[in-house]
Amino acid sequence: MRSRLPVLRQRKRYMALEIESEEPVSEKDLAQEIHSAQAALFGDLGTSRNRLSLICFNGRFGLLRCNYLCISETRAVLATIRAIASTRAAIRIKGTSGTIRAATEKYIPQLSLIGAEKDGRRIELEEVSGCIAHIRGSEIDLIPDDRYRKGSDTRYLGLTSFDLGGCDDADGTADGLR
Amino acid sequence: MTFYECGLHSLPEGFDSPSRLALAAKRLGYDGIIICNHSGQENLFLPEACRNINEIEIAFGIEVMASNPRSLSSRVSSARGRYPFLAVHGGTDEINRAACESADVDVLLHPTESRRGLSTVAAKSAQRNQVAIGFDLGPMIRLRGTARSRWLETLGRDLSLARKFNLGMMITTGPWSHLDMRGPREIMAMAEMAGFEPDEIRDGLALPARILELNRKNWKGPGVELL
Repeated sequence: MRSRLPVLRQRKRYMALEIESEEPVSEKDLAQEIHSAQAALFGDLGTSRNRLSLICFNGRFGLLRCNYLCISETRAVLATIRAIASTRAAIRIKGTSGTIRAATEKYIPQLSLIGAEKDGRRIELEEVSGCIAHIRGSEIDLIPDDRYRKGSDTRYLGLTSFDLGGCDDADGTADGLR
Repeated sequence: MTFYECGLHSLPEGFDSPSRLALAAKRLGYDGIIICNHSGQENLFLPEACRNINEIEIAFGIEVMASNPRSLSSRVSSARGRYPFLAVHGGTDEINRAACESADVDVLLHPTESRRGLSTVAAKSAQRNQVAIGFDLGPMIRLRGTARSRWLETLGRDLSLARKFNLGMMITTGPWSHLDMRGPREIMAMAEMAGFEPDEIRDGLALPARILELNRKNWKGPGVELL
């Protein structure tokens, strides 16, 4: 393709994302879900005005390229994503920047591949019982014994160490990344 | 700017404990949350664990659900004294209207659940009794295609009615787990796409804080506060 004049080139923004999901998701599934959500919300015309492209994804953090005039639209598209390849997930936007380098340095932590700790222990409380699936800092995902709950496409119950009488220093930054 | 998420559901109704919802909200940038389980599910799972989480206000309210106006009014009057935030789960015309006609109700949530939405009579009553309208953007996340476009149409109708009668507006996503929660800026972007004006969105996210503050004052009668 012939290169366009620099003055006619569309300016871009790079959005740093964090994926919160019940199971690991692949880059291909994430890109597919973003495009399908955009097509569903804005149609073909809206998609052509704001070509989204997933630059990289390491399993938890990723970079998404969008048009610099369509940041709000892109946020809305990402907010409407509820599941990626049938796995419940939510996309958190860490920030937006003008270059890949700035977005990576500002918003994507170097130790970003610290995975969730796998666990097999059980929790037996009066109201809730089940096996621990993951622990991230003070957040605990629990596989409940009664799985068939109303409207339950969510697989895990979310608890914290404070529910189990844990430590007092909760500040929401227990994974040490922010 | 103050951002509050007011329509949260926690265990035993939702999928997360109150402390987990509070941690997630704090990370997303909220100043406060109001956990409103439906009536009948109001015995929360370990609400005292929230005391360990600082820098975010956590309040407990109730979302009253009833099948007819008579049971709604009795449930509202029994819950009013116990909770600083009282919402009604709307849907049908009768329930929407009964909720708007009660001065004890703070907010009518999900009025757009039926395809007809809010009626003019209900909107007039809401104006008289200062009942806010809670717009739940959850269907915008959950639905796709025709169902979502139909929902957006009903939302637009309710929005124009709320503007016409100058009603208070509240915006939520009605989360049942931390994965359903969206940050304030994401909610702003979604609401803008759905037809809200930017200042309506900012007011909508701040209104729960103002209602909580008013309800916590010691009112002796309409307009009379014991200092």
